[in-house]
Amino acid sequence: MKYFLFVLLMGFSALTFAVEEAQTFDNAQQAQLFKELSLELRCPKCQNQNIADSNAVVAKDLRDKVIELVKLNKSKDFIVEYMIDRYGYFVHYKPPVTASTLVLWVVPILFVLFGFGSVIFRQKKSAVEQEWSEKDEAQLTKLISKYQDSSSQMKQESGQ
Amino acid sequence: MSGENKNSKLMFAVPLIIFFLLCIFLFKGLFSNPRELQTGRLGQEMPAFNLPDLMQENKNWSEKDLLGKVYLINVWGTWCPTCLVELPYLTKLRERGVEIIGLYLEQGYDPDFDGEFNIQALRDEVSQMLARTGNPYQYNIFDLNRSLAFDLGVSGAPETFLVDSKGVILLHHTGDLNERTWRAKFAPKFTELKEVKL
Repeated sequence: MKYFLFVLLMGFSALTFAVEEAQTFDNAQQAQLFKELSLELRCPKCQNQNIADSNAVVAKDLRDKVIELVKLNKSKDFIVEYMIDRYGYFVHYKPPVTASTLVLWVVPILFVLFGFGSVIFRQKKSAVEQEWSEKDEAQLTKLISKYQDSSSQMKQESGQ
Repeated sequence: MSGENKNSKLMFAVPLIIFFLLCIFLFKGLFSNPRELQTGRLGQEMPAFNLPDLMQENKNWSEKDLLGKVYLINVWGTWCPTCLVELPYLTKLRERGVEIIGLYLEQGYDPDFDGEFNIQALRDEVSQMLARTGNPYQYNIFDLNRSLAFDLGVSGAPETFLVDSKGVILLHHTGDLNERTWRAKFAPKFTELKEVKL
């Protein structure tokens, strides 16, 4: 019973914590936007972590700023732009299409096109009918009989 | 026959070209520093601010006080070991006539937990440290809440910005400034600006 009560109380403590988190925003949309942005914005200090994961001072500053702007009902694009203005494109996990990032967007498409192209090209090439002469036929028969002989010979040898 | 020959040449050339491109790409990667971040503020004017002086009571600085001269903004703190290494070199730069303004970045302060900030303790600490290393700064701007640091896109310390006389941010360097980085990155731009001004 004591154990049960303990578990029950533990459950409640987590619940109050969750309520506290949600209360910092006026509505569910704001909380959702904050969650989205904190996963999408990248910590400038500890690379390869988003600002939700990172405990760096600058990540906390970014989170605080996002909360502040979300509470002012700023749009997602506005907040992302605001951060890029200060920390550069690095801060957003979705790089925009610019001259320097074009290669990121174009190369995969080119790669797929090139792959399909070469498959089709090869198929067309191998589908071309080829000439077949008497001489070829004779050589084929000769080869078949040769290998038939050798295979029957091998069978006999293994039979012995 | 000649077509087949051409084809086999191509079969040979394509992987070779891909190999060389990859080599160039990876070779460049050897010398690129992932910690080298550029602020989004490059080419823009200094953000507006109004912050107190670190050492003097009742003295405030704003972006307008900085107009009309070429200067460096150096972000630092007594908590930052690399800054300690960098300070003697910055002092040398000051002796060569480079104006450096400190942006003191307080890292750990949180008003919800720490109560009122003990500015006197920090002043003592700063004086002690600068007495040891030399003082490169014309003055220090005290950014307790990291608001200017945030607007400049500062992610830590030390970081250095070069700003021209119109208040436009021209360069941003993360990490310590030393003879090598000064010569490679700052010196060309700095001398150019100084000449234009004269």
